[in-house]
Amino acid sequence: MPHWAPVNLPAAFLLHSVTPGVSNMIAKLAKTCTLRISPDKLNFILSDKVANGGVSMWCELEQENFFSEFQMEGVSAENNEIYLELTSENLSRALKTAQNARALKIKLTNKHFPCLTVSIELLSVSNSSRIVTHDIPVRVIPRKLWKDLREPTVPDADVSIYLPVLKTMKSIVEKMKNISNHLIIEANLNGELNLKIETELVCVTTHFKDLGNPPSASEDASQDRNPGQMAEVRIDIRRLLQFLAGQQVNPTKAVCNIVSNKIVHFDLLHEDVSLQYFIPAFS
Amino acid sequence: MNDNDSTSSNLNCKLGMKSILPIFRCLNSLERNVEKCKIFTRSDKCKVVIEFLCRHGIRRTHNVCFQESQPLQVIFEKNMCSNTLVIQPRVLAEAIVLFTSSQEEVTLAVTPLSVCLKSSSDEPVDVTSSVYSEMFVGPDEFDFFQIGVDSEITFCFKELKGILTFSEATHAPIAIHFDFPGKPMALSIDDMLLEANFILATLADEPSRASSPQSLCLSPKQKRSEPLSSNSEAGKNVTSKAPECILRKVAPKRLYPKETLTDVSALENCGSPIMKRANGDRSEVSESSVSDTEEVPGSPYLRKFSCMFFGAVSSNRQERFNHPFDGLATASDSEEDMNDGSFSTF
Repeated sequence: MPHWAPVNLPAAFLLHSVTPGVSNMIAKLAKTCTLRISPDKLNFILSDKVANGGVSMWCELEQENFFSEFQMEGVSAENNEIYLELTSENLSRALKTAQNARALKIKLTNKHFPCLTVSIELLSVSNSSRIVTHDIPVRVIPRKLWKDLREPTVPDADVSIYLPVLKTMKSIVEKMKNISNHLIIEANLNGELNLKIETELVCVTTHFKDLGNPPSASEDASQDRNPGQMAEVRIDIRRLLQFLAGQQVNPTKAVCNIVSNKIVHFDLLHEDVSLQYFIPAFS
Repeated sequence: MNDNDSTSSNLNCKLGMKSILPIFRCLNSLERNVEKCKIFTRSDKCKVVIEFLCRHGIRRTHNVCFQESQPLQVIFEKNMCSNTLVIQPRVLAEAIVLFTSSQEEVTLAVTPLSVCLKSSSDEPVDVTSSVYSEMFVGPDEFDFFQIGVDSEITFCFKELKGILTFSEATHAPIAIHFDFPGKPMALSIDDMLLEANFILATLADEPSRASSPQSLCLSPKQKRSEPLSSNSEAGKNVTSKAPECILRKVAPKRLYPKETLTDVSALENCGSPIMKRANGDRSEVSESSVSDTEEVPGSPYLRKFSCMFFGAVSSNRQERFNHPFDGLATASDSEEDMNDGSFSTF
């Protein structure tokens, strides 16, 4: 039987409101991801590797919104962070059993192999307490690799636009996927967004209007630009679909930033959780 | 099933699940329309006739062909087990959701004070390894709780799920009878209308439980009309050799990893571990070496549980060394749907 022993990097937190929603979303977006633990935040990170098709993700939650008790100790005082690699689905499954939990505790432990141990106290139907434990194997990422996992810089977008209802977008993109592997996403400062696919035989475009544009950060850039002019990026349709499939609930805020022919950046806010998803242009 | 022909002997036969299930599929419509259902055999035509006498004088007849079969006699005295637990299926069902479907086996660990259901996965090697899960259930959650000996048994998870699905339909509590690792365990459901006994193999306790935790699982479903018979000489002793029972020791550890399994033959279809002669060391308790899934190409492995192999400690090791394939029955119908694990193939 595995033997419980403390690790060099203690991290214990007690979730007071369990929202498996976040971990479910991450599980749909990335098979393996990095969990970064810092004194005030938790991040789920996917760095842009060839294996992901260059897609990257940065998801952030303020720990005080989720945990009633949060203790962590990083590698050192200057580097007070912990980076763990894990299989996203393992975490979401473990948290799923905690949906009606009386108490939930997540701890980093090391028994032969580093694990994120999720302890759940359930109240069964017969009013007796049941303790459930899940040991999720994790890999502690050494400090020298942390540079690859920094928060991505938000690019200066040519166009920023609010997204339409994601569910609608998803059902359209799902159908388009059957016709083509690539999709062009284009938008302008008049609140118009188009999803286009082009093949030898057919072109299909879906037009979204009156979406609205968020106020731009730099006044000059937006004034120079012709509001009707579209900024476009050609991307792999499956990456877009994977992103949309991860959004079960319509977010509080959803912005799409396009850098022409370079990258599309989705910036979402789901109540207390912010998600940034980057899909590069298909090269 | 009554044989209304002239012979008064019992008829042992088997029917395809794919033939029977569609007949009884729509319960609602059956309850609404069917006034009487007659089931009888026509052994001269090897058919079972299921006749629905419905409203408005409509009569619907289904003829299902059967095959004679000789079900294995299972010798297992569940009432002699030191440990007995009776639990509502719902409680077990709640525990089941903890484990991923990729888990092949689950371990039940009991002491007089607690019961723990846990995954019996290998030690993790990287982030893609399985999650280890455990759930403690207090004795007060059981309808009956009797632990005579502290024990930790490991058995097939998929079978447990199947049994639970069955028991949830009957709403009757499940009784779990077991002793020590290696000895079979029984899960039984005793309802007004039926009694079902599932005998499962458990992994033998090895000092070095390392690779390939494969186990043999089987579940013969036996109705009350066919009492468990035993050989007269063997009496009720599980560990003795009975000609109709296939006794095999299930060993999780591979003794001779370099040997490739050549005698896969008929057992491959069952997805069961292969029993090999252990050369040399006869004092080893675990004679059977178990293959890794990869070495048995195309083996459905633990997905098909129609094997009637029955793990138990055999006292007669010597005989097994000399005749390693004695008592191994061949799978008769490989094309049969074995996914429900509820039929013997012999």
